[in-house]
Amino acid sequence: MAATRAGTRAREIFTSLEYGPVPESHACALAWLDTQDRCLGHYVNGKWLKPEHRNSVPCQDPITGENLASCLQAQAEDVAAAAEASRTALENWSGLPGASRAQHLTRLAKMIQKHQRLLWTLESLVTGRAVREVRDRDVPLAQQLLQYYAVQAHIQEEALAGWEPMGVIGLILPPMFSFLEMMWRICPALAVGCTVVVLVPLGSPTPLLLAQLAGELGSFPGILNMISGPASLGPVLASQPGVQKVVFCGAVEEGRALRRTLAGMGPELGLVLGAESLLLLTETADVDSAVEGVVDAAWSDRSPGGLRLLIQESVWDETMRRLQARMGCLRGGRGLDGAVDMGARGAAAHALAQRYVCEAQSQGAQVFQAGDVPSDSPFFPPTLISDLPPASPCTQAEVPWPLVVASPFRTAKEALAMANGTPRGGSASVWSERLGQALDLGYRLQMGTVWINAHGLRDPAVPTGGCKESGSSWHGGLDGLYEYLRPSGTPAWLPYLSENLNYDIFGLAVPSTLPAGSETGPGPAPPFGLFVGGRFQAPGARSSRPIQDSHGNLHGYVAEGGAKDIRGAVEAAHQAAPGWVGQSPGTRAALLWALAAALERRESTLVSRLERQGVELKAAKAEVELSVRRLRAWGARSQTQGHSLQVAELRGPVLRLREPLGVLAIVCPDEWPLLAFVSLLAPALAYGNTVVLVPSGTCPFPALEVCQDMATLLPVGLVNVVTGDRDHLTRCLALHQDVQALWYFGSAQGSQFVEWASAGNLKPVWVNRGYRRAWDQEAEGAGSELELRAARTKSLWLPMGD
Amino acid sequence: MAAQNPGTELDLSWISKIQVNQPAVLRRAEQIQARRTVKKEWQAAWLLKAVTFIDLTTLSGDDTSSNIQRLCYKAKYPIREDLLKALNMHDKDITTAAVCVYPARVCDAVKALKAAGCTIPVASVATGFPAAQTHLKTRLEEIRLAVEDGAMEIDVVINRTLVLTGQWEGSDFIKTSTGKETVNATFPVAIVMLRAIRDFFWKTGNKVGFKPAGGIRSAKDSLAWLSLIKEELGDEWLKPELFRIGASTLLSDIERQIYHHVTGRYAAYHDLPMC
Repeated sequence: MAATRAGTRAREIFTSLEYGPVPESHACALAWLDTQDRCLGHYVNGKWLKPEHRNSVPCQDPITGENLASCLQAQAEDVAAAAEASRTALENWSGLPGASRAQHLTRLAKMIQKHQRLLWTLESLVTGRAVREVRDRDVPLAQQLLQYYAVQAHIQEEALAGWEPMGVIGLILPPMFSFLEMMWRICPALAVGCTVVVLVPLGSPTPLLLAQLAGELGSFPGILNMISGPASLGPVLASQPGVQKVVFCGAVEEGRALRRTLAGMGPELGLVLGAESLLLLTETADVDSAVEGVVDAAWSDRSPGGLRLLIQESVWDETMRRLQARMGCLRGGRGLDGAVDMGARGAAAHALAQRYVCEAQSQGAQVFQAGDVPSDSPFFPPTLISDLPPASPCTQAEVPWPLVVASPFRTAKEALAMANGTPRGGSASVWSERLGQALDLGYRLQMGTVWINAHGLRDPAVPTGGCKESGSSWHGGLDGLYEYLRPSGTPAWLPYLSENLNYDIFGLAVPSTLPAGSETGPGPAPPFGLFVGGRFQAPGARSSRPIQDSHGNLHGYVAEGGAKDIRGAVEAAHQAAPGWVGQSPGTRAALLWALAAALERRESTLVSRLERQGVELKAAKAEVELSVRRLRAWGARSQTQGHSLQVAELRGPVLRLREPLGVLAIVCPDEWPLLAFVSLLAPALAYGNTVVLVPSGTCPFPALEVCQDMATLLPVGLVNVVTGDRDHLTRCLALHQDVQALWYFGSAQGSQFVEWASAGNLKPVWVNRGYRRAWDQEAEGAGSELELRAARTKSLWLPMGD
Repeated sequence: MAAQNPGTELDLSWISKIQVNQPAVLRRAEQIQARRTVKKEWQAAWLLKAVTFIDLTTLSGDDTSSNIQRLCYKAKYPIREDLLKALNMHDKDITTAAVCVYPARVCDAVKALKAAGCTIPVASVATGFPAAQTHLKTRLEEIRLAVEDGAMEIDVVINRTLVLTGQWEGSDFIKTSTGKETVNATFPVAIVMLRAIRDFFWKTGNKVGFKPAGGIRSAKDSLAWLSLIKEELGDEWLKPELFRIGASTLLSDIERQIYHHVTGRYAAYHDLPMC
């Protein structure tokens, strides 16, 4: 009988040639859940932690809705226990030689290898993602990551001399993430000697399994601790003693809110925000291959987000036809089916996609859906949206999974403007068979990662990150390591939170300045103006502020800059940016050297200015001399930027480019009025940034003296120096949406404000939390930390083939 | 081969506009094999379907009428009867799509097939196979003679000297290779050819067939080729008029897989008839 039934089936299939189910057994995943009595707690210090009296949340199969297990929701004390375990483990772990840590990571890689089937079935079962993607890509990549970072740990003492692990790292992961996202971050953190507390959303057993595998290695149980709870526990995690950095992956608005909450709390914050990607298809592209790129980007369960697709008008019809035909061949279904392209991602993702589609339709867009996808709820078909009016709200909003929003462009220049005209700066691909055009677009896209004629390639050795509102945290490659390192000797970061700091009024008003006593000397010296747009200008407020010397006598007057002056300075800096970015490193070096020579010529004036501020003659001379050396040194360093990587499974190089941040605002410290000014300015210029700078408040004169040389030597607007009330200027700069980065060296309160205000455009900020730096020391005054901060990385993938 | 390509004016601008990105095509070729598989009844049905696409081929210098006869018999009865019965497919008249031989063996093949009482067409390679470096006159004569002997289909090797100098020829079917090259049917090459077939169809409405040949030996390979056609061209190309697999040893592996599917046991060498 059985044979006959099978026979009937075979006859039908012989005629229809349809695909059938290819179920992957998930018995081992269920068996593992059984070992936990279907109740998942937290994994802390090498042991399961299942505290009593906790709310429990069901972990469901996103497709059948079947309850797989219940998950205990963490409370603050559980987070504290995990942080405590990490703190305790830190001393041993960070004190190990790199080679021993490397060995431990290798053992974990082998552990994963042994239990890979359990890992991939569990992951696919609970996330709903296609098992093929987890099995063939995520799990092997997780092992490669461990191997890669084991090698980095092995050579750490040599390769990363002068750096030390930050300490305990908190990692906050969003719902609907792949366990691989966690691996990208914990591998480098563990490799360099940090210990990690991961806050995973409820109902994510794979990270817990991974922590268990790590814990079962026996030694060093507390280095990786896993807590299951809502993202709202993030601030609790950040406020645990010893936590030195928090990395948050998730939605842009949540990241923004967390940035504000964590201002002044101590730990550094790394943000990885949004999931949208971009694909730029020119008329010279291999359209069929580009269509496969779209599939990779949006419809293959590879990326967590949707895709913005820019198509050159001349190939629009052709591309849409091919795209729609291709969509018809896509298959959706249960993730544990080995032959589906797309699984399902649960109700929340479905609702998000549905809402976007409805809104787009109501705004007049065309929606095309196709593919062999079950029509019931958790599944969402591949969706292509076009004709969305350019100004509609949907065009601005982030495209969710599994949607593709297509828009036409006329010229490459227009495409670039469209691609760069969003607050997002994650990843993009360029499809063009014209080498020059492809490279030009690749270099000019403001993105963390750009693939040429490919989409979604990843490798442990290649840094991946973003710019703008995609956040500036990196994973992969050396950049991934530096995320968890700090220069040796940096004091541990403690909370410097000032509860009574009122963000609304900090630096809002400028105290009025009155004449400050008798002017000495032959005749009253005119006040210094603001150095904006290449010349000295009177400030908008038309008032000046007196500066006193070390004896309390009047040293001179400087301009009282305000919001409008900052606006003008930022504009001038933006105008200068394209010219300066386009200069070769050689030209930049030459200008820095010319400035160094000018400083030497001006030595006597600078020395006397410093002396009046109470600096000894010998020390003043040394400061000028060191400043000159710094300029020359950074000039020389600007010659060596970026390098190319060779990665597995790719013919062709990946370029790790170091690109300027854009307009960089620098608030200089009061101390070392000349040296700190030069030490901050020089790397900023060497890496192609244009600068708006607030000099020392107590002694702005040396900086203003240097401006007289910059007026003749440097391009107009490259450097702008604004004097005035530091809190007020800091406020203006920190809240400015078109300032791309901010370095602040001032008070603890100012630092806290800067961190809070940077949430506006999520600009990367570097603050001193009220600590003084030893600017005359090589490590703090000219170390590679400055080099890292002065530019951002971009990875440009260049696959080869004839 | 029922498909008839009436041809079009040669428009080289079509060819000059074609862009092929090799690394991207290689990636697609890898993906397509990993993303689609069929199991159980689906696998059995697909394998039987694959049988109907096979141009069962022998192109050896020592071919004689006896092994041609054996080949033709195998073409008519590609899968053991009891296995087909178990799958309830014995009445589907499953045969290979054609037998493919050298011109001089066409007579033998026609005779053998007639004796077996079946209508499977005889295909012949012709035109100075496999290099095609002979005179046009003898190549045309070769075709004429093969047709006279009863060949229904001719696999023409085009003169690649002309291709490499930009002088193209049209056809009803395109074939990846002769099967006698160092590299024969590969997925990346096939993807490019299939995309060209689809573009030609979109432009002219004419369907050109596709035949990968050489190196397709395992049942698993044949399934991958079927899903490649299904994905890139669609189900309408999955019929013998538009899709063939040139192979000699593939059939026995398919038969072994069917044996395993039906019996749950792996076959011994002597369990299945040789061809």
